[in-house]
Amino acid sequence: MICDKPTGAWLDANDRAATLGDRDVAQCKGDAMADKPEQVGQPAPADSVGPEGRARPFGLILTLVVAAVGIAVVAVLFSLQYYTSPSGTQVAQSLGTATVNGVTMPHVALRFQTYPDSTGTVNGVQIHPSGNPSWPAYGLTNVYQVPAHALVTVTVRQYDSGGALNNPWFARVLGTVGNVAVVNGKVVSSIDPNNVGHTFTVRGAPGTDPGFFLNVPLPAVPGNNQADNGQYETVVFSFVSGSAGTYAWNCEFPCGSMVASFGGVMNAYGFMSGFIHVV
Amino acid sequence: MESDVTPDPLPHEKPFFSRAGGKIFIIWLLMTVVGVLIGFYAPHHLLPTLVSAEGHTVWLTIVLFTVLAAPVAAFVYAVGLYSLLGWRHKGSDTDAPPPDGPPMRGNGPMTVLWLTASALLVVVLLVWGLSEFTAEQVSHPDTLQVNVTGQQWLWTYSYPGTGVESRSLVLPLNRPVQFNVTSVDVTHGFWPAALGVQVDANPNVVTVITSTPNKLGGFTVRCSQLCGLYHAFMYSSGAVVTPQQFATWLHGQGAPTALANRTARVNAGASS
Repeated sequence: MICDKPTGAWLDANDRAATLGDRDVAQCKGDAMADKPEQVGQPAPADSVGPEGRARPFGLILTLVVAAVGIAVVAVLFSLQYYTSPSGTQVAQSLGTATVNGVTMPHVALRFQTYPDSTGTVNGVQIHPSGNPSWPAYGLTNVYQVPAHALVTVTVRQYDSGGALNNPWFARVLGTVGNVAVVNGKVVSSIDPNNVGHTFTVRGAPGTDPGFFLNVPLPAVPGNNQADNGQYETVVFSFVSGSAGTYAWNCEFPCGSMVASFGGVMNAYGFMSGFIHVV
Repeated sequence: MESDVTPDPLPHEKPFFSRAGGKIFIIWLLMTVVGVLIGFYAPHHLLPTLVSAEGHTVWLTIVLFTVLAAPVAAFVYAVGLYSLLGWRHKGSDTDAPPPDGPPMRGNGPMTVLWLTASALLVVVLLVWGLSEFTAEQVSHPDTLQVNVTGQQWLWTYSYPGTGVESRSLVLPLNRPVQFNVTSVDVTHGFWPAALGVQVDANPNVVTVITSTPNKLGGFTVRCSQLCGLYHAFMYSSGAVVTPQQFATWLHGQGAPTALANRTARVNAGASS
């Protein structure tokens, strides 16, 4: 008897059994068993083989359920970490109403700062909970909340030094009312692209107002000034918020490390980037 | 005593569709039909509204390649599916599995068949790809130049000679556009899918790609290369507008009136 008798390319198990004959198949099985003496007479583990010798699906189902739960937990934790800040959300303060281009809308205010050392403290609170001395940060939070279609007036104190932008286009004030900002009391439409400390750059995306864009360059100060004690530049600007959604903002000044100075702090969430919840 | 038991027929004596090969053929046929239907209908629903000739070419290429690949993929899936279900060892773990079938090595007709089929498919795809690629390389004297700069995590577009730089990509109708694409930091992917073009934006390198918008409407530009923290937000909007609207937009972005008007005249000639 030849157990591997050639029987054609498309034979299935039944075909082969028919070709070889049941007795031959049994003999072949016996030969194969002889090659694996350790399996003879050893029943498979009870938790993997059913009463009729078939594999139970319990293990597979349990694995899939555990994997699904794990993915869900990671996704929830990621969302909580990604769209929120350990320092909380700054809700814009109401200033009443304002009229822009003949349209009356709510008027709110935001205030934040940019610091050269994210481990510094302001009124006893560390600027960033997991700060790094060489990493700058927006503070005290990087997540803001404003109403939709409202005039938002932002006041920024910029304490950090700076330099040249990778792209001088970001030295322009774009997307604010009148495309201008007030820097230390002076109205400007752009600043020196070689002396920028940070930028506050917001963009719309699908799911929000895709055409929304805001870019405000913040001039650099001569040296790094810690917390609220040193020299700073005051930049004030107003913009009309878009429709409801979560907008991402980040700094376009290369204040990080590695490639194009956009590594390190620039690619770590929560220091030079954040979100604006428009509600 | 003679036995009255009729012996099972040998495999080659069974009807074709009762044999494994026949069953695999049926599975293959069904999967091929499904694959061809997907090839014809899915791109229409998956792709954005296409606003350029190149976009139409991309759509046609996806349809062609999917239809041609459907029988090949179906064959692999059919054999795989039947192997999992039909040839699955159904005994307990203590039973020895049935012996393997004969090897395919040395099967001359089968080797000739798959080599010929593969070669023909590859030649068809090569000829199609080269012809379409060559057609896109034709230069036009009135091509609009647009410099595309990627940076973490925004696109900016400048229009040489006009002084205009914008975050929005606005293009005139029926005028060839040459995108000069680069990056100031890491590698990005310039991907206005509706225009049917996609090319990497590499630092210190300018990569050129062309497209001719032929339909009015908006579109989006995304980054197709994972480029860092806010890659998912590296997005900008674009629009194909009439030449007159394009001139108005250029003027609104700061281009001198004369220059914007001259651009409008060129565009009007191109679109007529």
